[in-house]
Amino acid sequence: MHPSRFRLAALVALALPITGCASTEVRSYVARGIDLREHRTYNWARDDARATGDPRLDNNRFFQERVQSAVDEQLGQRGFQKTDAPDLIVRYHAGVTQVIDSRRTENSGDCHECEPEVYDQGTLVIDLVDAHTDTLVWRGWAKGSIDGVIDNQQFMEQRIDEAVARIMRELPPRSAREAKRNRTAA
Amino acid sequence: MPLLLRFAMTILATATLSACATTATVGSHVDPDLDLSRFRTFDWGPADALPTEDARLARNPAFKDRVQGAVEKGLAARGFQLIARGDTADLLIHYHANISQRINVNHADRAYVYCSQADCPPDLVEYEAGTLVLDVVDARTNKLVWRGWARTSVDGMLRKPDVMAKTINETVARILLRLPPKL
Repeated sequence: MHPSRFRLAALVALALPITGCASTEVRSYVARGIDLREHRTYNWARDDARATGDPRLDNNRFFQERVQSAVDEQLGQRGFQKTDAPDLIVRYHAGVTQVIDSRRTENSGDCHECEPEVYDQGTLVIDLVDAHTDTLVWRGWAKGSIDGVIDNQQFMEQRIDEAVARIMRELPPRSAREAKRNRTAA
Repeated sequence: MPLLLRFAMTILATATLSACATTATVGSHVDPDLDLSRFRTFDWGPADALPTEDARLARNPAFKDRVQGAVEKGLAARGFQLIARGDTADLLIHYHANISQRINVNHADRAYVYCSQADCPPDLVEYEAGTLVLDVVDARTNKLVWRGWARTSVDGMLRKPDVMAKTINETVARILLRLPPKL
């Protein structure tokens, strides 16, 4: 491919996930009867690297460390402390899978307009496990298109930070002040 | 916005579609503190714990020889020396090769071909994408300091050693081009 055309394609590939960003879906579960305010400290699970479904991310320290530092920052902002004898164990899991979205274009009966879309969907799951009872107390996740994201390190780091921040906003608020902040951020 | 998005998707799909036939998509991640001028020698190291490898590549001695040869040549050209057996190297190199089933949207064809529903070209084209990941590990700290990769369609390549050889040589050279310059 001609270099300038390649650059154009690369630019478009870069711009795409930004526009796609709005469609990132973020959700969470919280275990019944759990009051996360009782948990003040956390630490990371011992290395539990699992296959991500994308060889570019498997055993990728640059990816793993970015996720961990983003989570550390978000938990720190919410008053959790990282200690050696924690209340909570944090685990995460990342997965990549190619998905087909067969949506139709608006109000068009002409099947020339029915074009399925194919993209790489990335999922990042963050689990908080009660260190004493070894039960899952909270799980939050984000899911969205990551086409072109992994190939660009800076871009990947930016998307990790955004996804983790949005996932952690799902945590039950620990104070009235935090509840208010979550509402304004949303 | 949806229109713009669709436009971008179309260009992207077209770019990947045409890229499939000829060029691989390459990428890399790097330790921001990496100073390659500190390293002189390299050796092949053990692969990591999650080798998501495809047997058609992993158990193919010709593939292995070709990749190792291309990497050794490329690193030598960058001034790194393959260590003699038994010595300790500054850098450990390993790679893994994976094949996955992927799907492309045939946007380009449908835009220019008139068809009734019965004779339309297929929207979705399945192909096999090969990913070659090359890891550079600091032998002293045992930490990954650089990872580069390329992904390309391997359809028709697995049974054609000459096409495979040419693709490996070109692809490895392009991956290694992404190594940061020695400061």
